[in-house]
Amino acid sequence: MERKSCRKTTAGRRTPAALIAVLTLGAVCLVVAFAQAGEAGGNAQEASTRLVSLRLVPSEVRLLGADASQQFLVMGKFSDGLERDLTAQAEFSGSRPGLIRFAAHSRIQPLADGELVLTAEVAGRKATAAIAIGGSQDKRPFSFPRDIGSLLTQQGCNNTTCHGAVPGQGGFKLSTNATYPRDDYKWIVEGGKFEVLTAEMEEPPHPRVNLKDPEKSLILQKATLQVPHGGGLRFGPDSPQYARILQWIQDGAPYGEEGESENIQIESLEVHPRESVLDLDGKQQILVTARLSDGRREDVTQQVVYESINRSVVDVDEGGLVKAHKTGETSVLVRAPGRAAAVRFGVIADPLPSYPEVPENNFIDRHVFAKLKKFNIVPSELSSDAEFLRRVCLDLTGTLPPPNRVREFLASKDPDKRNRIIEILLNSPEFEEFLFYRYGEIFRWYGGATQLGKDTQLYGEWLRQSIAINKPYDQLAVDRIAAQGYDGPSRFFYQLRFIIPPAEMIAEQVRIYLARRLDCARCHNHPFEAWSQDQFWGMAAFYGRMVDLRDSAMDDSLLVDDPALKDRVVHPKTKKVVQPRFLDGRELPEGERTDLRMKLARWIVSHPYFAEAFVNRVWDWFLGKGIVDPVDDFRSTNPPTHPELLKALAEDFRVNGHDVKHLMRVIVQSRTYQLSGVPNETNRGDRLNFSHALPKPLPAAVLLDAISQVTEVPETFASGDRGFAAGTRAIALMPSMPSQFMDVFERNERKTLPEGKPEPALAQALHMLTGKTFTEKLASAGGRVDRLIRSGAGDGEIVEELYLAALSRFPTTEERTRLEEMIAERPRREAVESLTWGLISSRQFAHNH
Amino acid sequence: MNLPECFSCTGGNYERRQFLRVGGLTFLGITLSDYFRLADTMAATGTGARKKAESVILIWLSGGPPHMDMWDPKPNSNFKPISTNVAGIQISETLPRVARHMDKLSIIRSMHSEEGNHPEGTYYGMTGHRPSPAFRFPSLGSIVSRELGGRNNIPPYVVTPPLSYGHSYMAGNMGPQYNPMIVPDPSKEDFKIPDLTLPKSLSAELLQDRQSFLKVVDHHYRQQEEFARFSKMDTYQEQALRMILSPNVKKAFDLSAEPDGVREAYGKTRFGQSVLLARRLVEAGCRFVTAEGFNHSEWDIHFDNDKKLSENLAPRFDQALSMLLTELEERGLLETTVVMAMGEFGRTPKINARAGRDHWAHCWSMVLGGGGIKGGQIVGASDERAAYVAERQVTIGDLFATVYKALGVDWTKTYTGLDGRPLYIANSIGDKQGHPVHELV
Repeated sequence: MERKSCRKTTAGRRTPAALIAVLTLGAVCLVVAFAQAGEAGGNAQEASTRLVSLRLVPSEVRLLGADASQQFLVMGKFSDGLERDLTAQAEFSGSRPGLIRFAAHSRIQPLADGELVLTAEVAGRKATAAIAIGGSQDKRPFSFPRDIGSLLTQQGCNNTTCHGAVPGQGGFKLSTNATYPRDDYKWIVEGGKFEVLTAEMEEPPHPRVNLKDPEKSLILQKATLQVPHGGGLRFGPDSPQYARILQWIQDGAPYGEEGESENIQIESLEVHPRESVLDLDGKQQILVTARLSDGRREDVTQQVVYESINRSVVDVDEGGLVKAHKTGETSVLVRAPGRAAAVRFGVIADPLPSYPEVPENNFIDRHVFAKLKKFNIVPSELSSDAEFLRRVCLDLTGTLPPPNRVREFLASKDPDKRNRIIEILLNSPEFEEFLFYRYGEIFRWYGGATQLGKDTQLYGEWLRQSIAINKPYDQLAVDRIAAQGYDGPSRFFYQLRFIIPPAEMIAEQVRIYLARRLDCARCHNHPFEAWSQDQFWGMAAFYGRMVDLRDSAMDDSLLVDDPALKDRVVHPKTKKVVQPRFLDGRELPEGERTDLRMKLARWIVSHPYFAEAFVNRVWDWFLGKGIVDPVDDFRSTNPPTHPELLKALAEDFRVNGHDVKHLMRVIVQSRTYQLSGVPNETNRGDRLNFSHALPKPLPAAVLLDAISQVTEVPETFASGDRGFAAGTRAIALMPSMPSQFMDVFERNERKTLPEGKPEPALAQALHMLTGKTFTEKLASAGGRVDRLIRSGAGDGEIVEELYLAALSRFPTTEERTRLEEMIAERPRREAVESLTWGLISSRQFAHNH
Repeated sequence: MNLPECFSCTGGNYERRQFLRVGGLTFLGITLSDYFRLADTMAATGTGARKKAESVILIWLSGGPPHMDMWDPKPNSNFKPISTNVAGIQISETLPRVARHMDKLSIIRSMHSEEGNHPEGTYYGMTGHRPSPAFRFPSLGSIVSRELGGRNNIPPYVVTPPLSYGHSYMAGNMGPQYNPMIVPDPSKEDFKIPDLTLPKSLSAELLQDRQSFLKVVDHHYRQQEEFARFSKMDTYQEQALRMILSPNVKKAFDLSAEPDGVREAYGKTRFGQSVLLARRLVEAGCRFVTAEGFNHSEWDIHFDNDKKLSENLAPRFDQALSMLLTELEERGLLETTVVMAMGEFGRTPKINARAGRDHWAHCWSMVLGGGGIKGGQIVGASDERAAYVAERQVTIGDLFATVYKALGVDWTKTYTGLDGRPLYIANSIGDKQGHPVHELV
């Protein structure tokens, strides 16, 4: 807890939560102590904060079996809106004490069957939970996954840097987090070495257990370092872990529960809380409940592995108790066999004396601002008109507003002028052109080497046409996935003149439409997520029937699915033919195995991932960072910063018929989008919560177009005998068109899906200094510089015009005065060229902000 | 050429990044490893081992050279074996000049790789990884220049001239700052490095004066907030200015400073001048130069193998490589410069119906030497037709590990993939750790 020296102190009043706080002038200064002895380092709370209510989590519990246990949380709601973990201060009592015992301060175990009420008390307030106990005398039978698998997971044996790595470690392989216990069992009991690409073994298997002499089992000798072990000592011979494994081997190393109960798996993990705000030095116990495939729910708080993504912000111990260290935001990952979940933590410092009222434009703002308030971050002011205009023009059209439009917009007194300009832009030809560029990136319109091939042309025309009629996004996806014959989207497959193999195709489609990265599972089960190699190939099988019917007379190709091709997709490991199977594991029934890609397309667009994936991508285009980031890497260990917002956006997109324009309109109309980039004291360091506009680097093509626009010297693109008309924009080109500028500025070649944002590089710096884009365009006759010099305009007017053209704003008085001086001291043309160079080389210009 | 079995040979699709691109320089903070520093200290006090290699020249024979007609003479070659200056080592008569330098080079005759097509093979040969949609692995040159860091304002990694399958020699997911500088054809009359040369209209003074305008324009905006991206670009802008104004850099790229006789001796071709430029760059402080200069897949001899090899390809290669070895030795650079020559694979033992040889990745040869790597050795052996490995298979991962070891770079290092998975910088078949060829280093 941070203690500040206070210049002047006044006596704080005692809150019901037994807190003492001290206030000073203006700034809030905290000295907090718990009344209870020994509770130093507890939750710091604001002076005016008092405990409003108390609740016990979970409030209703069914304990089944003698091995069941349940962890409880006592959550206190305070007047500042935060809910704090008061478990450690709570006193627990049961209405029928004989039925339960306390395994720990806040964890109970059953003793006898029956029902009771558990009460927690903090500072005179009470909360209760209803508990029902059944089968309290029934010991659960042994199960390898639960008893041995979880032990290996907790000891870290099967994490990805050890035996859980793809090829294992030191010849011994385990599935990551015991995701595939049957495989683990085989590798331990029968031995053998994992081969990534084949099911065959290179060497004779070597069992890790010794049934004749259990203590000589390799698994025990290694873990206790009786024989050399790269992973060091995991546990000693006196440890309960050793005893448990030894007992298992002495019992004959059984797999345990077979049959139906063997297949009971964790379907999902529920964590409580899902998101939490902690004071500096605050604590929070995480509660983890597993929903099993047989419908039961089970407390697994003590059986999972916890990991803090940023340990300098919060730390977590092996029992799931989180401690805050410094202000910031991070997640704690919770891993159980085959499943993972994350809890988001924000740590806040000095509470604000008063939080301002922030107007909301639509539901986006409601979600974003609610979180900001919770995290004690105040959003920036609304952007200035100039800031807004440049931003929205670049985001919707990839084009800078011309100086006269800037003047006009800034001068307008129309209170609705922002919405008006949004509508103008959404219906402009530039909007279509820029959306074509954006679709071109994700749907990979790339074309042949240097000429615009027929297939490229047709595919591009289809994309343009789809944009022109504002085709619903789900329809676009269906058309593209199920493309047949000679239709436009089928030409995608012919841009390189061969049909992309099923495995590559499905990995790409899943990344675009469902924003998941399945690629790893092509060669082996995904090391971090529950994607198996079988699931991957099941999905790939939907692409297994594509054939190219070439009409040599016409030199055209037709894409068809040949129903006779039933056995083309073969599992690389088992070498067996794979049947089409959706990602959720459902196999396409035998009678329905026709028109496979259409079936896949319908399944994809109806999946909840589909809309979430796209709204997140569009959000990233406009806000500079996805709600899940990177945009095509949704996974349980990469949680969204605003889960409810993501859901709300997806829902709004769905109910509005997957209308892309509508989605963009909602986003750019929100106050969140329209916030200024000028930070305040509370949000300066925030990069996650959209509290102020963050600079977005302009893509290579947009930057080049902007330079051409500012200098009024169009870029000419030509290759071989093929040229494009002067004035053709860089955003309209396929990336195979030669352009030194765009290579240097890292345009996406579209050979693969885009990854990350353009990064600065030395080549760019060199090109800015001496490259022809930054030198020839300035000096070009007929260009803006030339025109301004000849126009007879004064230095001040020239400065103003150049600022409006490049930065869509007027220069400040300070800038204008300084620049006029600088121009006066130098040869005029040279100075104006230098100023223009300075403008187009600035960070301010190269970013949309 | 339009061969159905060799779709990619006809491409040209891939040769796109024709222009100068420059990777980042770490010359501000020299990034020598502790081990490297230690080795230097030891050498200075006379107690330690030999000096470590400081740079690498990779001569890339794009398309795949016929190993049995060059380094591994076998009865199924129409060329005769000749003796070399190392007793017991014979190579093909196609390389008479290199034969006189065999003491400086060792031949690995049991290379085995996994990709038999040009794009994949090139990527595999330059990164040690099979192409994967999950990760674009950095090239050997990117890793070496990152591990050793730059010197003397010279870009640490240069490719001359641009070669095919551009993604293969890039830095991939390691980031564009480790991409090579790609320079145009050095044999051209007007050879100059775009963006490293001031245009006529721009004086050094004016270039510097422009910075003051930039400062005024960006001043207010830059004070708003600090972004890592901004300060990165600031660093690059300072570096770029220094490079453009540095006489050392200008000199290194100025081939006209070489006497005509020397330029002739390398061969006044794209290839010959690229190899000469590689020597100049290494001399000036560059860490890794990939020199090519043959036309797109020129070594991809699907027809008229013998004629093309003996009349054109081998003589050019023989001339430039032998000259490079001569000069490196004369200048005392051989001790610190690893020289390697290879393609993405070898060629079929059988001569096809068009008198050509097709792609062959099962077993092929490459040569390396210098930088403390032993010369005059033969590693491994192929069978009687140079078709399969008969003895001691060597993989790309093993080759890379050998180079890293010679450079004093920890060859067991891994980089972390986007998904958190560790990937070997010396990656052998089946994603296993490659090991240095102990006979050589």
